[in-house]
Amino acid sequence: MSWAQAILLARGLSRGWGGICSTALTGAPFSQVPPQAPRGLRCSAAAHNPDSSLVPRPPEPPRQPVKALAVHEELFRPALDGTRDKANFVRAVQNFAQYNVHKRGHVDFIYLALRKMREYGVERDLSVYNLLLDVFPKEVFRPRNIFHSIFLHYPRQQECGIAVLEQMENHGVMPNNETEFLLMQIFGRKSYPMLKLVRMKLWFTRFKNINPFPVPRDLPQDPVDLASLALRHMEPDLSARVTTYQMPLPKDSPDTMDPTETHIVGIQSPEQQSALARHDPARPIFVEGPFSLWLRDKCVYYHILRADLLPPEEREVEEIPEEWNLYYPMQLDLAYGRSGWDDYEFDIDEVEEGPVFAICVAGAHDQATLAKWIQGLQETNPALARIPVVFRLSGSSGELLASSSELEEPPPPPPEGQEEEEDSQQRQQQGQS
Amino acid sequence: MSGCGLFLCSVAARFCRAPAAFTVSRRPLLTSPPSRAFAKDLFLGKIQKKEVFPFPEVSQDELKEINQFVGPVEKFFTEEVDSRKIDQEGKIPDETLEKLKSLGLFGMQVPEEYGGLGLSNTMYARLGEVIGLDASIAVTLAAHQAIGLKGIILAGSKEQKARYLPRLASGEHVAAFCLTEPASGSDAASIRTRATLSADKRHYILNGAKVWITNGGLANVFTVFAKTEVVDSDGSVKDKMTAFIVERDFGGVTNGKPEDKMGIRGSNTCEVHFENTRVPVENVLGEVGGGFKVAMNILNSGRFSMGSVVAGMLKKLIEMTAEYACTRKQFNRNLSEFGLIQEKFALMAQKAYVMESMAYLTAAMLDAPGFPDCSIEAAMVKVFSSEGAWTCVSEALQILGGSGYIRDYPYERLLRDSRILLIFEGTNEILRMYIALTGLQHAGRILTARVNELKRGNVTTIMETVGQRLRDSLGRTVDLGLTGKLGVVHPSLADGAHKLEENVYYFGRSVETLLLRFGKAIVEEQLVLKRVANVLVNLYGMTAVLSRASRSIRLGLRDHDHEVLLANIFCSEAYHQNLFTLSQLDKHSPENLDELVKKVSQQILEKRAYICTHPLDRAP
Repeated sequence: MSWAQAILLARGLSRGWGGICSTALTGAPFSQVPPQAPRGLRCSAAAHNPDSSLVPRPPEPPRQPVKALAVHEELFRPALDGTRDKANFVRAVQNFAQYNVHKRGHVDFIYLALRKMREYGVERDLSVYNLLLDVFPKEVFRPRNIFHSIFLHYPRQQECGIAVLEQMENHGVMPNNETEFLLMQIFGRKSYPMLKLVRMKLWFTRFKNINPFPVPRDLPQDPVDLASLALRHMEPDLSARVTTYQMPLPKDSPDTMDPTETHIVGIQSPEQQSALARHDPARPIFVEGPFSLWLRDKCVYYHILRADLLPPEEREVEEIPEEWNLYYPMQLDLAYGRSGWDDYEFDIDEVEEGPVFAICVAGAHDQATLAKWIQGLQETNPALARIPVVFRLSGSSGELLASSSELEEPPPPPPEGQEEEEDSQQRQQQGQS
Repeated sequence: MSGCGLFLCSVAARFCRAPAAFTVSRRPLLTSPPSRAFAKDLFLGKIQKKEVFPFPEVSQDELKEINQFVGPVEKFFTEEVDSRKIDQEGKIPDETLEKLKSLGLFGMQVPEEYGGLGLSNTMYARLGEVIGLDASIAVTLAAHQAIGLKGIILAGSKEQKARYLPRLASGEHVAAFCLTEPASGSDAASIRTRATLSADKRHYILNGAKVWITNGGLANVFTVFAKTEVVDSDGSVKDKMTAFIVERDFGGVTNGKPEDKMGIRGSNTCEVHFENTRVPVENVLGEVGGGFKVAMNILNSGRFSMGSVVAGMLKKLIEMTAEYACTRKQFNRNLSEFGLIQEKFALMAQKAYVMESMAYLTAAMLDAPGFPDCSIEAAMVKVFSSEGAWTCVSEALQILGGSGYIRDYPYERLLRDSRILLIFEGTNEILRMYIALTGLQHAGRILTARVNELKRGNVTTIMETVGQRLRDSLGRTVDLGLTGKLGVVHPSLADGAHKLEENVYYFGRSVETLLLRFGKAIVEEQLVLKRVANVLVNLYGMTAVLSRASRSIRLGLRDHDHEVLLANIFCSEAYHQNLFTLSQLDKHSPENLDELVKKVSQQILEKRAYICTHPLDRAP
């Protein structure tokens, strides 16, 4: 396509409604899919929807015929062997560029491709994003004068560009020099996608490691591994030991239905162990839970073994034995302590909580399963045999159980959309519980 | 406050030197006059001139006697002891041990009435210089008599002394000191070895394991510390530490195989196990339940000798490296002509000179009549000499270059051997705590009234303090009377003396401020305590060299101008170090990076790893 043609075409596109209706007015007659004006309009409107994501949601499946999913749907038809991988995705994008010499409907195509990325497993691939940006015609949307810069020049295209960057951001993909160069060619220096890029470059580096407790990007699928990851995540003491008290039965065994035969994984640090050994057997300890812990998009439920805080009058005062250190005095025999003007401690009101002796993650949240955990703990904590254990289980409704078991037995990767729905469903449940 | 009195009593006992602690029945502790020691008064910004000036001398007879001993021992060590073989085989040959015994070196400090040499501390230090030529022998002898049988000398009854000392002094029996356990280093509360009284009340049944016992495989007599049940004055039963003399023949004593060590490989170190060993009640050392004090006194008494041992080694090392530096040619010049090499010799000589001075000054203090408490001084000698040994040997290896690293030469062995000095007999970190805390306790007691008045807001005291600080900050000249007409320091060392006086004065001020700031919570401020100890070690070193060099000038000893040079170098260096350290002790001092240091180490220890990202890693 020559530049002159491109400019002419683009100008034509931007006339009237500007970018907003361009697909509806000009794109539709040429698209291979039977023209459906309402769909096109709705699609554009969706792009303007101040939704959390700039990527328009796919039309709801029940009301729409499968064929009319999107304009360039057929480009993403699964390959003969049904595989969906990067090579196929790249081929689809290249096909679009090949068959659409004039790049008609490229905005729609990009939106569609963005939606399809997850299916193809390329949502974290920077080169694919760059390839997508490369679909935009170059130089056409660059502002030519100051007024172009002041007023949103080619708003629909710019928004589409921002949507690409937004999706990159959501998946933690850092743009590189090529991205910057492409955006400069497409939209010019003074454009919104460029601004977004600059902001991403500034903040990504700063926010990338903001979490002091990083969670690995790919969580283990095995529930036992996931449980031990979750436990390690919660336990600050590095000497703590993760113990698998019970392995889940293999899937093909006939007893799979027995809920007590799920995994039980616990963690306990040596300090917790000695604290439990010192615990007064007259005071009961409690098994509490389930509490939820989110690791990326997965939720695990854990239980704690804890005791109530000792009333102040019963606490043992830690005293320094007289004959303790062979080499130097452990305390000075002076009447005065630290002076007020050398006390750098902030005045903090601290709420003291009772000690936690152990944490566990189990496949089921009923008392029978947790009793097995306590039994297992007794092997390393003989004192536990003398201490009464009270089970305080809350919210162990079928709902919670169902959702968690769904999670821990990972279903085959659900089709696009459904998974997100499931996620939101869980989140709702989470909020309710 | 009732507990306070009790603690006071124990502290007093702790700080009195050994014999005082064991003659409680004869001399009530609380009424005895406090023994003023030099180092403690430094904390108050004072110099007890009487204690350290003039440098102590031995009489002509004594000197002759020492030389009589030293001559043959030195000949033996230089001619017959093959240190390289001892190191390689990990064992001192039997004939060497026999010769050591026949020289009487196994009973140097055992009183003459029990068949020992009955050497004074000064003479013991002098012999140490010679013995230090071979670290394995020095450690074996030290484990035998500085700690192994020391308990019997310090706390043993007449019968115990008569029974054990003669054979130990002759070397027929070797002694070992069994305190350390797998779970217990300096923590006496975690000792697991237990002694229970048998049914007939005539024996204690001893059970437990001790680790890293020097001479554990050779010894026949062990000083063992174990927990026993003791009925307290209020009727409650408590576990307390008791010391026992255990013979190997009592049965049930076994030892593991010798540990494979980095240095001092000729000395025997192994585990010792006691299994139902029956120890007669007569073999309790000191009182039942009084083992803690016995252990502390033994440990405190043996430290000063390291100064002379290391000095002896360093003198030999200087000879050997000087020989090398003056013969090895590079670029047609001898190594000795290069400034960077010359500097290292000055450093070695200076360290040797200082630690020698400190060691003999302390030895003389210990020899003084009465029972002076010199445990701080002894600890300072140990800290300074062990660190000096390590730096000097390391510098010597720099001079020697590649040959320092080769096993065919003796140098790398010296490096390996000297590393243990920083660790055993109380690690230097722990001794720094001891030095600082003991001194601060002393100063804190004396300053209590003043601190209380300041805290209460007594106008006179506050004005006085403010005025004093104002005068200090305007730059006052400190004169503690070391120089001048009646001065004890020779005028050619006046410069060093002024520096010492200034340091001592401002150290006193700093201590007062620290006590005012932290009070008894200073126990937790280990970085502050370390600095206090460092300043004190320097001050003691300065005093020792000034005293010694002054004496040398006055007596007109040979090469005293060289001594003056060394003394001046050390005083100057130590003075500037002290100034820096003291400024770090100030509140809000920009030199003090403790907060940052603590933060860094906390973060590292939380993760238990080095934290920083690799320099080649990229951000995105």
